[in-house]
Formats: sequence, structure tokens, C-alpha cells
Amino acid sequence: MYSEVFAHFDSSAPAPSNGGILAGKRVAVQSLVGVRGWPAAAGPKALRGFVPLEDASVVRRLKEEGALLVGNTAASELGLGICGDCTARAVQEGHADIVLMLDTMGEARMAAAKAGLCGFKPSWGRVSRFGLLGLAPSMECCSLLARNPNDLAQAFRTIEGMDDCDPSMVAVGEARDRPGNGSPSKDLTAGIVTPLLEALSPQERNAFSRAIANLQDAGVTIREVTFKDQGLFSVVHQVIASVEASSSCGKYDGVRFGHRAQGAKNWNEMYLETRRESFSSLLKAFLFQGAYFQFENYPAFENACRIRARLVQENRKLFESLDLMLLPMQSTLHDANQARTLEQLYNAFPFTLLANVTGQPALSLPSVFKCGGQDMGLQVLGPFLGDEELLSWAQTLMVQGEEAA
Amino acid sequence: MTPNYEAVVGLEIHVQLNCETKMFCSCPNRPGDEPNRNVCPICLWLPGNLPRFSMEALEKATLACLALNCQIQKESAFDQKVYYYPDLPKGYQLSQFHRPLARNGWLDFARDDGTRQRIRIHKIHMEEDVARLVHEKEGRTTVSLVDFNRAGTPLVEIVTEPDMRGPADAMEFLRSLRIQLRYSECSQCSMEQGTMRVDANVSIRLRGSDALNAKVEIKNMNSIRHVGDAIAFEIDRQIACVKAGEPVITHTRLWDPDARITSPMRGKFDGPCVPDPSVPRILVEDEWLQGMIGRMPEMPGVKAERFMSRYQLTREEALQMSSERDVSRYFEDVLKQKAPARLAAQWIGTQLLPLLKEREETLENAALSPNRFAELLIMIEREEINANAARDVLRRLLESTASAGEIVEQCGYRQVSEAGELAALVDRVLAQNPSAVENFRKGVAKAMGFLMGQAMQASGGKANPRVLKDLMTEKLSSYST
Repeated sequence: MYSEVFAHFDSSAPAPSNGGILAGKRVAVQSLVGVRGWPAAAGPKALRGFVPLEDASVVRRLKEEGALLVGNTAASELGLGICGDCTARAVQEGHADIVLMLDTMGEARMAAAKAGLCGFKPSWGRVSRFGLLGLAPSMECCSLLARNPNDLAQAFRTIEGMDDCDPSMVAVGEARDRPGNGSPSKDLTAGIVTPLLEALSPQERNAFSRAIANLQDAGVTIREVTFKDQGLFSVVHQVIASVEASSSCGKYDGVRFGHRAQGAKNWNEMYLETRRESFSSLLKAFLFQGAYFQFENYPAFENACRIRARLVQENRKLFESLDLMLLPMQSTLHDANQARTLEQLYNAFPFTLLANVTGQPALSLPSVFKCGGQDMGLQVLGPFLGDEELLSWAQTLMVQGEEAA
Repeated sequence: MTPNYEAVVGLEIHVQLNCETKMFCSCPNRPGDEPNRNVCPICLWLPGNLPRFSMEALEKATLACLALNCQIQKESAFDQKVYYYPDLPKGYQLSQFHRPLARNGWLDFARDDGTRQRIRIHKIHMEEDVARLVHEKEGRTTVSLVDFNRAGTPLVEIVTEPDMRGPADAMEFLRSLRIQLRYSECSQCSMEQGTMRVDANVSIRLRGSDALNAKVEIKNMNSIRHVGDAIAFEIDRQIACVKAGEPVITHTRLWDPDARITSPMRGKFDGPCVPDPSVPRILVEDEWLQGMIGRMPEMPGVKAERFMSRYQLTREEALQMSSERDVSRYFEDVLKQKAPARLAAQWIGTQLLPLLKEREETLENAALSPNRFAELLIMIEREEINANAARDVLRRLLESTASAGEIVEQCGYRQVSEAGELAALVDRVLAQNPSAVENFRKGVAKAMGFLMGQAMQASGGKANPRVLKDLMTEKLSSYST
């Protein structure tokens, strides 16, 4: 099954001889995480023939800590959605212990939930974006999938931290001023955003309530919280991410790298043909939407940015009295694996894109929230830059949840 | 121009900063090198790369803003100016559209009638330059080639208020701007070499009105003179339009320097400007800004005033000695060697600088140290050599390492001022040129010049002209009585 999962499989890679905290760990990366010399061929046609000249900073750090890079995996188109993405299978099928995958609206967490794995999207700004071939810089984050939270924590410790190649990162010192930070209280307080649960089926809603009740029984304090504009997370994400995608896809012009259309009479025609051939209709729809807000309806984009800033503030405020926020990962009403239009896509990620909008860290945990025998995945969100605390609670929650279930 | 109309002109000036590196990567900032030598994954914008803003670009841009009396903004940021063109690797240009580095500046210049005119600067922002496109024919096929050496090199764009009233204002303003910016050592500011590019926005209105009418942008001028010519042409064209009852429509025109006309160009698409998520906001701290202010030299206006009051230079001399930083430095270094100030200013301005230009040298790289030059000036002042001889000595100073005194001795340039010696010489010349003497007596003024020339020649160029002239006048007047 290697050929389905991997775009490039490095069977000859020697195990690194130096030690390091990841010594002996096999790591695969989604082919949108650049590895020097490995073709990024599994993405869109636009990237065909493009071979990164340098390792992504996250890859360089993994290698330095002794990880064995086994290959890169077939990816969805520039990380939008999970259709056709085989990254999670690398762990699920035992080819790797840890995989790295972009998370723009929840893809990495969703892939983890569907494969029964743990998935972790760190806080925006804690992991270098250098070498990532994504779409929406302010939304996406290089994320981690593994069988257990411990591997996630180790891999996170390896890849996080300031990087000269990415000046947009956030210094952790800046945000360590939250009351109670650094010393996780024994008693966890978790918030539930009840109105968001309307995206679940009635049966799933009941199952979610049961899962939460189990955690409550295990000693977690549960509080219901609301955002003033929780209905706007999705639209804010869509407006801003599509605008950023439109900008970041400007480089796919066939001039310097990647695919170039043949037979054009002049550069303008070459340019248009190249882009016509380079993107799928899903991505084109996304790019058109972004271009619409850029060129035709800029005030809507400005509004989205303002609303986002308000949601971020509201979220920070909520976390002054919360340790965690608990949300479902998905609903069976809308399957992310089948999402082939923008509408289907946004319907399939109603719970996860919240953390991409706010930039806060989020985990997808298996075995805690089940419905009708199916593991739905529980999403646990931590405070912005509180990545370590969130990871340290993950183990507790899984044990408590599993025992209760 | 018809007396009924006046022109309203504003300028947008792109200035290439003389940084070592490009604005967002460490490639050398040398656009003129062999094509595509100075490129890297960042400025080619290969997937996965991120801009790394150069501190040097911020410093040089800040110097430019300070030189134009602008208020540096505490917080500024980069936007993406979106348009699609092969010279733009990202599909957008990083530029400070919404939040520029500086606002509210001004710059004064003197009009021909001596009045001072203040031009307000609306804003100055940083941006990266685009690649250079070359369109060629390969047989019958047109090919477009891209040279990315220039892509990502650092620029500032200076936007003035529409405070100029015609071509002369624009030209004087640009000359003044160039002097200010060169002083701050942030750019060479050469329109001919493309390190300064100027677009002009021109509109007209009835005199006395304060309306801002539809403006036309003109581009493609590659000298300050062309800017003036293009604006003058455009004003006349717009007046002709209005008189013919045609409205002036906002559009862009290109200056054709050969035909000396402007002609409409295809409308350039004005794309949107979206905040860039990858370049961090620029926060200017007071301490840093004070450091930059401390790096600013005494600016030319202040310096010229000081030269007039301290060294008693005329305004013209003071302006010439202060217009370039290296000239003013050299001038004051020469004065430190006790050379007389006005003589130094005159000799630097009328002799040394033209000579260096002719020899394609600069004050920096020429072999003439201030103390060697000062020695020459002191000899002129003491009338040990005359001006003719001094010009020869100056040439020899540039060609050797000998001192002025040594050259004068070796070549026998020492001036003859001894009256007895010169009197004999004058007598001889007058005796040899009786017709000129006769002419002089008849009142032909030119005759005096001729006789002086003959006498100077007879002295081998070494006669003290003042003593010679006194003697000549004295002798001739005795002839005429």
C-alpha cells in the first residue's frame, strides 16, 4: 500500500546515528511540507516538477532530533480539505509513528479523528511556516498526528520555537501573562459552546452530552459559554482564507517553476492557460471567491478582519476562566471525505475552523466521544500559546474519557 | 500658458535605496549585474518561502523620511498590492499602502525670483521593486525574458501634495529633493541611472479656483529636464482640450523624449491592497528613532546659511559648497589647512570640480588631499603664483604626489611681482607694439587687453597681473599726456 500512501518513499534512508529526543521515531510528512530533494508532486498540477531546495524548518528540526524521515504522503490540493489525502494512513497502517500535516480549517485534526489517531494543531506562530506549501498563511499551521499524546508532545517540542526563516512567529514570552499559566490546576474547567452543537444530529448531540457528563463524573468542571458571534466563525474563515489563498496562489504562474502550459502565443496566454490547467474546480472556486473579495468587495474582507479580531478577543476573555474548551470533531451529517464543493467543505468542518480563526491550539482525541459505536473524536481547545498545558491534559482526558466510556 | 489657467502638479517619486541587500532576502542589491545572478528562493518566491524584512532597508528608508521632514509613524505595515504580471514573482507587490512609514513632511526650494516655496509631502512608504522584462524577437517569434535581479530591491515612494504650479516648480523641487536625499546617503537619486523615477500628476484649473480637476498621470521621464518638458506639454495639451470643449479624462500618458509629446498608454489595472500576513508590523521605538536622527548630517539648507555667516561666502558660493555632502566636507577640510574661504569656494567650484569631472574622478578617489590643495590656494592668496600658473599646478597636483610648492619651483611658475623687472618688460612691449599704443590713445579700450596679453606672454605667464596692469596703466597714461 506504500504506493497509495506515499508520493515519495525513502526506503534507503539510513537511521540517523545521533541521539535526540526522536531517535528511533519514523516520521512521514504530507508532501506540502518541504523536504529538500523530495518532489512535492502529490499536490496540485501547479507544483508538478517542483522540488524544494531546502528542508522546511520543521523537517530540519526533526532530523536534528534523530527522527527517521521515511517519505512524503499524497496530499489534498494545497491542503484544502482532506479529499485524496493519505497522510493519516501513514500512521494508521504502521509506516510511521508521527506525521506532519497542514491544518487550514481542521484537516489534520479531522484526518486524525477519522483514522482513530491523536491530532494536534499548535498555536499560530509557535511553529515555523518556512517550507510549507499551503494556502492561507494566517489560518494554517503545521500539525501533528500520532497514536498517543506523548508522541505528539515530543514531536511538538522538537518543531516549535522561533526561527529566523519565519519572522512572523510569536515569541512565547509575549503571551505567558495569562493568569494561572504555567501551573495547570488539578481541577480542570472546560467550556462547552452549546449553540455550536446544533450542527450535530440529535443522536450525536445526545452522545456528546453523555461524553461530557462522563468527563464531569471524572472530575472535570463543565461550564456553558457563548460567543456573541459564534455563527460568524465559518464566514470569517471563508472570506479571509480565500483572500489569502488568492494571494498565495499568485506565484503559480508558470514563469519560474512548476507546471507551464504549452503552445501559448504570448506570456499572457501562457499565464491564463497555466492557471486553468493547474487548479481543480474546488480550488478555483476558492480562488475566485478570494479574488472577488479582493477586487470587488474589499469592505467585506475588512469586516471579516474586524470580526475576527473581536472573536479572538472574546476567546481570550473566555479563557481567563477556562482551561479548555470541548467541541465535537465532526458530524456524520457532512463527511469531510466527500466534500467536493466549497459549501460541502465548510459544512464538513464546522467545529474545527474555530481554532484556525483564533489561532489557539487544538487537539483531536480518539476514544472519548463515540456515537452508535463509531469513534467521532473529541476536540479539545486550549488557550492561545498554551500548547504545552493542552498536551499535558490530553493524556488525562483520554484516560478519564476511556475509563468512563 | 494662458493667463486664465494655472496648473496643479503633484509628484510620485520612486527612490532606490542604496542598501547592500534586497528588501526581503540577503541577495545583493545590484540590479545591473548579469541577468538572474542575484536571485534566491525568496526573491524568486518559490513555494514555501517567507519574506525576511531587512533592517538596513528600514534604516535607509527612515533616513529618507527624516531628510524630507516627515513624521515617522510609530506603527507601519506591509500590504500586498495585487496584480498579475510576469515581473511580479508573488502575484503581488509588498508595499505599505494602508499604513505608510511616514507622513506629513515638507521640503522648501527657492524659485527664480528668490521666493521660497514649500511643497508638502503627503506620505513616504517602503516597497519592493519588480523584475525587469525584456521583450525580444527570436526569428519571427516574440519572446519575453525576465531578469529577477531587480525583483525585491528596496524602494521608497514619496508622494507629494499637489502643491506645484508648473514645470519650473517641479524641476526645482526635484533638484532640492535629490540634494536632500543624497545628503542622507540613502540613495544616489539618479534619474538617468534609474535610481530615481518620477511620475507626475497634472491637472489645470481657472486661476483663483481651488478646485482639483481630473488629473493625468505622466510616466517615463528619465531626467529632471524631461519631467519639466513633459509637464509643460501636458499643461498645454489640457488647456487646448478645455478650449476645444473636450473634458480632461483621468488617465495615464507616456512621455516620448524624442517626439517630445505625451501619448495615452493602456490603462494600468489598479489592484487591491490586502494586509500581508507574513511580514510583521514595523514598530518604531523612540530610542531607535533618536539614533537615526543622530545619524542625520547637517542638512544643506542649514549648512549654506552657516557657510555664509561663518565664512562670508556669497549665497551662490554657499549653495555650491553645500549641495553635495562630499563637496562640503572637502571644502571645510581645506579650510582647516588655513586656506582662505572664498578663494577655496571659488577654486573648488570653478576649477577643481570641472577638472575632476573632465578626468572622470571624484573628490573621494582623486589623489588631491585637502592639505595639498590648500597649499596651492595659499600660494595664490600670497600672490606667489598667478591664476594661469595655478591652473597648471592644479593639473599637475592631480597627476603626481608632489606638493604645490615643489611643482611651482620645479616648473618655474613663481610669479614675478618685482616692479623694476616688470617695468622693463612693459617698456619693451610698448616699444614693440606702437600701433596698439596709438589705438589706446585714440580710446580703443581693447588695445589695453591686447598689450596686457603681450606682456603676460613675454613674462612666460609668470607676471603678477595686478602689478603688471598697474605699471601698464601708468606707462600708457604717461604716453597719452
